[in-house]
Amino acid sequence: MWQYEKKLQYPIKIKNPNPKYAKIIISQYGGPDGELGASMRYLSQRYSMPYPELKGILTDIGTEELAHFEMIAAMVHQLTRNMSYEEIVKSGFDTYFVDHTAGVWPMAASAQPWTANYIGVKGDLLADLHEDMSAEQKARVTYDNLLRLIDDPDIRDPLKFLREREIVHYQRFGEGLDLATSKLNSKNYYAFNPSFDKQR
Amino acid sequence: MNNMNSTGNMNGMNDRSRMLRRIDAVDFAIDEMTLYLDTHPSDSRALKTLEQYRKRRAELIGEYESRFGPYILTSNDVTGSRWSWVDNPWPWDYQGN
Repeated sequence: MWQYEKKLQYPIKIKNPNPKYAKIIISQYGGPDGELGASMRYLSQRYSMPYPELKGILTDIGTEELAHFEMIAAMVHQLTRNMSYEEIVKSGFDTYFVDHTAGVWPMAASAQPWTANYIGVKGDLLADLHEDMSAEQKARVTYDNLLRLIDDPDIRDPLKFLREREIVHYQRFGEGLDLATSKLNSKNYYAFNPSFDKQR
Repeated sequence: MNNMNSTGNMNGMNDRSRMLRRIDAVDFAIDEMTLYLDTHPSDSRALKTLEQYRKRRAELIGEYESRFGPYILTSNDVTGSRWSWVDNPWPWDYQGN
C-alpha cells in the first residue's frame, strides 16, 4: 500500500481558533468510536476475510478513515492556533497543554489514550461485519453529539460531511453482510466460520 | 492544497480555488463509485459512470494545468530542479484549504 495525496478529502478552514471545541473534537481522533479506531479495525479485519469483495471494501473504507483521521487532526490543529495563556486556562485546555502543548495526540475527550481495546477483530466473517456496522453507527452518534455542542459553521460543515460518510459506510457494510450471507447456507449461517474453516 | 505558494491577483486565486474545488468534487464522486463497485463489481453501468468521472477529472486537471502549472497530488507528480513536494502549505494548515 501507500501513496500520500497532498490534500484533505474535504477542506477544513476554521477562521476562529477555539481550544474548548478542540477538547471534544479530539474524541474523533483517538476516542472509542473515532477515525483511528475505524481505520485500524477495518485494515486489521481484512486479512481473515474469505471473499474478495470484503477485502476490497475493508481496504478502501479503512484507508478512507485515515483521510478522516487527518481531517480531525487538521481541525484540532487549526482550533489550537495562536492560543494565549489566558485562553488555554479559560477553556480548560491547560490539562492537555501541559503534556502535549499544541501537538495532536490520539486520545478520547475523556483523556483516555487510544487503545486497540477500542476495536474488535474476531476473525469471524459475521461477527466482524456486525462489528463494522455497529462501529459506523456509533461514529455517527458521536458526530451527532458534536453537532449538538458546536455552532461554528466552519466546523459544522466538515463534521456534517464526516457524519454523512459514516452513514454511507454503514450502507456498504450492510451490503457486505448481504453478500456474505448469500454465500452461506440459509438454513444455518453459523455452520462454520468462513474466515477460518474450509468450505464444506 | 496544490500550488498555493504561487502568486497572482485576487481573481487568479479565486479562479484557481474554484478549479481545485471542481477537481475535489469529481475525486469524491470517484471515491464513492469505488466503494460501490467493491460490493457490486459486475455493475456495468457503474463502471461506465466511473469512466465518465475519470474523463471529467482528466479534463479538469488539463484545464487547471494550462492556467496554473502542474497539479501536484502525490510526490510522483513532482518534477523540476527542486523538490517542491515539501513546500508549504500542507493539507492541515489553515492556508492550505
